[in-house]
Amino acid sequence: MAISETRGDKSGGRTSGPAVVVHARPWLTYHRRRQGFLVLLGAPALIYVLVIAVWPLARGVGYSFYDYSLLRPGRTAFIGLANYSAFWANEAARNSIETTALFTLAAVTLEFSFGLCLALLLWRDSAFRRACLALLLIPVTVTPIAVGLIFRALLAPDYGLIGYYLAAWGLSSPHGLLGDPATALGTLVIVDAWEWTPFMALILLAGLKSLPTDILEAAEADGATPLQRFRLVILPMLLPAVFLALVLRTMDAFRIFDIIFSTTNGGPADATDVLMIYAVKQGLEFFNIGFASAIANLMIACIAVFSAAFIVLVRRADRRANEL
Amino acid sequence: MRTRRMLGIVAAISLAALAQASAADKPYDGVTLTLASQNDQFATVMADLAPKFKEATGITVKVDILNYPELLSKVTADFVGHTKGYDLATMDIVWAGQFAEGGYTVELGDWIKRDAAEIKPDDIYPVLMTALGNFKGKQVAFPFAGYANVLAYRTDLYQAAGLKAPETMEDMVANAYKLTNPPNHYGFVANGQKGPAVAQDWMQYNNEMGGSILGADGKPALNSVANIKSLEVYKNLFDKTAPPGAADYDWGGREDAFRQGLAAQMQTWSIGAPGYSDPEKSKVVGKVAITVAPPGKGLPKKYGVGGWGMSINADVDQKHKEAAWLWIKWLTSPAVHKEFNLMGAGSYLRISETHDPELVAKFPFLPVIDEVFKNGDGEYRPRIPQYPQIQDLLGTAVNAVLVGHADPKKALDQAQDEAVKLF
Repeated sequence: MAISETRGDKSGGRTSGPAVVVHARPWLTYHRRRQGFLVLLGAPALIYVLVIAVWPLARGVGYSFYDYSLLRPGRTAFIGLANYSAFWANEAARNSIETTALFTLAAVTLEFSFGLCLALLLWRDSAFRRACLALLLIPVTVTPIAVGLIFRALLAPDYGLIGYYLAAWGLSSPHGLLGDPATALGTLVIVDAWEWTPFMALILLAGLKSLPTDILEAAEADGATPLQRFRLVILPMLLPAVFLALVLRTMDAFRIFDIIFSTTNGGPADATDVLMIYAVKQGLEFFNIGFASAIANLMIACIAVFSAAFIVLVRRADRRANEL
Repeated sequence: MRTRRMLGIVAAISLAALAQASAADKPYDGVTLTLASQNDQFATVMADLAPKFKEATGITVKVDILNYPELLSKVTADFVGHTKGYDLATMDIVWAGQFAEGGYTVELGDWIKRDAAEIKPDDIYPVLMTALGNFKGKQVAFPFAGYANVLAYRTDLYQAAGLKAPETMEDMVANAYKLTNPPNHYGFVANGQKGPAVAQDWMQYNNEMGGSILGADGKPALNSVANIKSLEVYKNLFDKTAPPGAADYDWGGREDAFRQGLAAQMQTWSIGAPGYSDPEKSKVVGKVAITVAPPGKGLPKKYGVGGWGMSINADVDQKHKEAAWLWIKWLTSPAVHKEFNLMGAGSYLRISETHDPELVAKFPFLPVIDEVFKNGDGEYRPRIPQYPQIQDLLGTAVNAVLVGHADPKKALDQAQDEAVKLF
């Protein structure tokens, strides 16, 4: 109901106060027009997301319930959850989950530890530190597949600049770090950390730069040691940035493909056979689209669980930081 | 005035006749064909030859050069999705089973019979006609690039050690031990990297040592006694005579090791042979000879054959199919195919080519290729729809053995258990 006030006498001049006139509310109010305009503005992006992300995702979920091979499309049949149970029954598939989890845990831990140290070292502003930061970011700009090829050449035990000496001095197996099942995954963790630690450091540095200086100065004035300041003041306030960095890198590390594809292709034996390598093989080499979709859905589910857990932690940390 | 009009009429008639004659000569003038090609040496040569084909027929051929996995996934997606993105595609020897089962490509048998006089099929090595495109009687592709598995060896090292080219696999293995002198040079090199690289190389050696991937019943026999024994020999060669990093070599790593002088001998595809004489790529120019890959003692001559056929997408319209067939016939015709090889395609097909004086003068190893093709075996890598999975199982099993993660019997037993589930 729209109510408007009108000046003037509407009842023979007997009343003296303002008259109240009730108008029928127009359907296209300003509010609705504005809402419509905003929907119109957002529609292309929404349609884009629906077509590019949601629709293929939904198709992927659908395919995972079918025995669907591109090589035998005529024999496609609904098989319910059989692709998922086949995944769990397959030793190579289970191994790929373990390898992926191990890689993710090791890589993210290493990158976070070094990233935090780097961020603390580069916290205080100076020209030297700014130059260091710029140089440190170079690995992030290199394509992962190129990183893999570079390290593969460097670590080759026959002619690699690093690998040759490691093998000659007995610091690696004769097959090289990437050719030995005992060291291949660890080596790939280090390669991944070489590329992504600066990214982690950058996020943490942004978090450090946004900390209120008055609290830090107050802690210093109260006589807190550097370790106490870090543990009791800096770290709690930095937690939102920490969790953000961890979420981003965990999601990315869980999907590792390029570096492994270009260095070991999942070998030696099955030492670096991660989920993505396994899924790509099923989908693009064997064309088992149903099975590959099931693997992709499991990955999405895992990443969604990580992300949800991290988001809860970020919110809690944010609340706690605001209470400080 | 009358004369001028008459002249005009004559000119118009002549022009119309010329246009008709031209249209009759070039019925596919204006057609564009898109060809998906593996990025082997032949790809750029085909792209270089395409303008000449256009001159002759009016048909434009666009060559889309792709790496192996990209080619397989793009072509399969195009065929399955019926998107008609490619009119033609190069087809690896081991894809024939998949292509035939899916019915993705034009069956060329009738056209080959129809145009036999033009194609001269008697001049094509029978093993190539079968292996590079025929699956259970269906001609799903036409051969155009035959590769011979050969042994490349260092003549200087062989001479210094007083050895002669091996005639049996046992000789080759013994020579590998004698020629190993680390870290200067090693007696042997082969692919060891997990996946298709190690699977394909081992299948080759396994075949020469009397092993077989399938049994007589056509079912997997990965853990046969002969296969286990050949894998033991292969493992010993890697441990004692190969560069230490060979367990992680793919084709590029293996070729590099040989060209850089690290290895005394290796089996390889003939397409790489011209590269050993190229000073820009090779440190062993003038020190390499090519011979047939030696079979095991007492075993029949069975030389590995590989390569590519060209297939026509069954989804495209009839005009494009006919135009694509014209391209295949043109490219594989004796004169053009000779030119193709003179330009460096390294892809042999015809008996007349391996005996052509001009080609032999340029590529002296052609008599070896002739010998391989005459006694060729294109089936040692089973050309069946389950091949990609079998190759993957072997790629994991053999690599696990080479890096000391499993013993030959255990690895092949496990692979066999998985392989039988595919049939």
